[in-house]
Amino acid sequence: MLTALQRHLTSVFLKIFWRDRRSIFFSLFFPIIFMTVFSFANSREQQPINIGIVNDSGSSIAEDFAQMLIASPLFNVSVGEEARLRDELIAGEQTMVLMLPADFDANLGEETSGINVVVDAAQVTQLNLIMPVLQQTLLSIEREFRGIEPMFAIEIEDVQARSQRYIDFLLPGLMAFTLMQLSIAGSGFNIVEYRRKGILKRLFVTPIEPKDFITAIVLARMAIVLVQLSVLILFAVMLLDIRIVGNFFAYYFVVILGTIVFLCQGFCLGSLAKTQEAIGALGNIVIMPQIFLSGIFYPIDSMPEWIQPVAYVLPLSFVSTGMREIANAGATLMEIAPNLFGIGIWFVISFVAATRLFLWKEVAN
Amino acid sequence: MPIIEVRDLAKQYPLPDNKSEKFFAVNGVSLHIEAGEIFGILGPNGAGKTTTLEMLEGLNDIDGGEASIDGIDVSTNPYKVKQVIGVQLQANEYFDNVSLEELLALFGALYNRDVDPVSLLKKVQLEEKAKAKPANLSGGQKQRFSIACALVNEPKVLFLDEPTTGLDPQAKRNLWELVRDLNSTGMTIVLTTHNMEEAEQLCDRLAIMDKGKIIAEGTPQGLILQFAPEPPEAPLHGDLEDVFLALTGHELRE
Repeated sequence: MLTALQRHLTSVFLKIFWRDRRSIFFSLFFPIIFMTVFSFANSREQQPINIGIVNDSGSSIAEDFAQMLIASPLFNVSVGEEARLRDELIAGEQTMVLMLPADFDANLGEETSGINVVVDAAQVTQLNLIMPVLQQTLLSIEREFRGIEPMFAIEIEDVQARSQRYIDFLLPGLMAFTLMQLSIAGSGFNIVEYRRKGILKRLFVTPIEPKDFITAIVLARMAIVLVQLSVLILFAVMLLDIRIVGNFFAYYFVVILGTIVFLCQGFCLGSLAKTQEAIGALGNIVIMPQIFLSGIFYPIDSMPEWIQPVAYVLPLSFVSTGMREIANAGATLMEIAPNLFGIGIWFVISFVAATRLFLWKEVAN
Repeated sequence: MPIIEVRDLAKQYPLPDNKSEKFFAVNGVSLHIEAGEIFGILGPNGAGKTTTLEMLEGLNDIDGGEASIDGIDVSTNPYKVKQVIGVQLQANEYFDNVSLEELLALFGALYNRDVDPVSLLKKVQLEEKAKAKPANLSGGQKQRFSIACALVNEPKVLFLDEPTTGLDPQAKRNLWELVRDLNSTGMTIVLTTHNMEEAEQLCDRLAIMDKGKIIAEGTPQGLILQFAPEPPEAPLHGDLEDVFLALTGHELRE
């Protein structure tokens, strides 16, 4: 399939890319920092909320209420003196303090018993989360006290059988974005650099053909990109506990398709741009809008409606949503056929443009 | 029979400050270079020397005229021509992070040849540097390495574009020796230069170009006899630099 020339050239490009440790390091460094920060920010939200309980009542009902809150994973309860807990609330160590008055169960069932909630206004956003839980807890105590069965029961059936965290959403998009950047830089920036140094010209006076050169760069760069992405995925799975539900081969299939599309786009940009500055600017025109519009950080559905039709057909959108469907929902290649079709269309566009634009005589000079 | 035959070669470029107008960078150049010659092309900057070489090497389209190397037509059979020529360009940078021997093996592969990098490096006295990277070579070493790269396909014709520009006198003389050695094996060598001593010492025949045309051609001795201004009293005097200046004028170029 490959000629001896193409194999040799590929192996030389592999050596060149592999020995460029600095760029390999930086291409891994930023996604890893990114993932770590997001997973850290993410896990903090799941930490229990600190609340204090001042139990002046001492009755069994008040004790039950406190126990139920202590048992709830949502709260980290400390029971204690009002003065100390108020100080802690002001210091920000407690989110709220519940005061169960001495007459909490005095006329239970006949009069409504009051609970005082002392909050710091700055923490008010979390009240929306806490209040329904408190009300629910009180309701179940009331039902038990009055001996009535709940009228309705909600059973939650999680069809995806796993919890979706933001980092799970983010990872496939981040992988897609990383492969786009590595690919566009890997072909585009290299071509401009090789032209500047006169290397393209030197290659062109040998009997090598453009397709040999393009094939070798695509294969070598793809191998490096696959290694880099595998390191990132390994990092995410091992250290950040991110699950990839779907089939790994399907996942990598989309990665490979995406890499080819973006390498071709890199060849187009590298052929058009004559200087490093120009390729930087052209690269940004292609890369920047896709960072924000391709559903990397938030779903395309949540964008303004007028921009969605554009966002959905961007090459990075097809790649990132395809990878996300596989990673998060366990989709098969058949199920993401529309994405594959979209990537295919972009491949044809990019490949034709790359072969039209990458002409030795013009690109080398 | 000449190994390189060029007839009425022409190349047009748009003018830099007026894109709609064109000018002839090379305008009707004809050359006959015999096998085994060292042929020099002299000329001020912008005379069309490099463009002429680039057309012969297949790097630049031929807009008019014909050129053939070893009987192969350059415009219809560029890939066949590339098989029989070796080229050293003015720029002599290579890929980063690849050693000299790896680069030579690569260039060999581009011609579908298995080459012995060490023996090639020996030819240019760089065998000690087999594991070195091109970025760590001196100017003279870089030029010699460029020539080694141009030799991987055992070419019949070797093109050298200003091979000694920027070299110190030792490196320059060392490179002349190398060129003579290669020539003694029967290789035809075509070089461009600004160095009159180089042209006089090294070349069997010369062509002087200006404004896209060849304005004089002959052996160094013949050119001196024909064009060097004779001082009024003294016998034959002057050197190639006098010839060059007399033909192309004293006006500064570029």
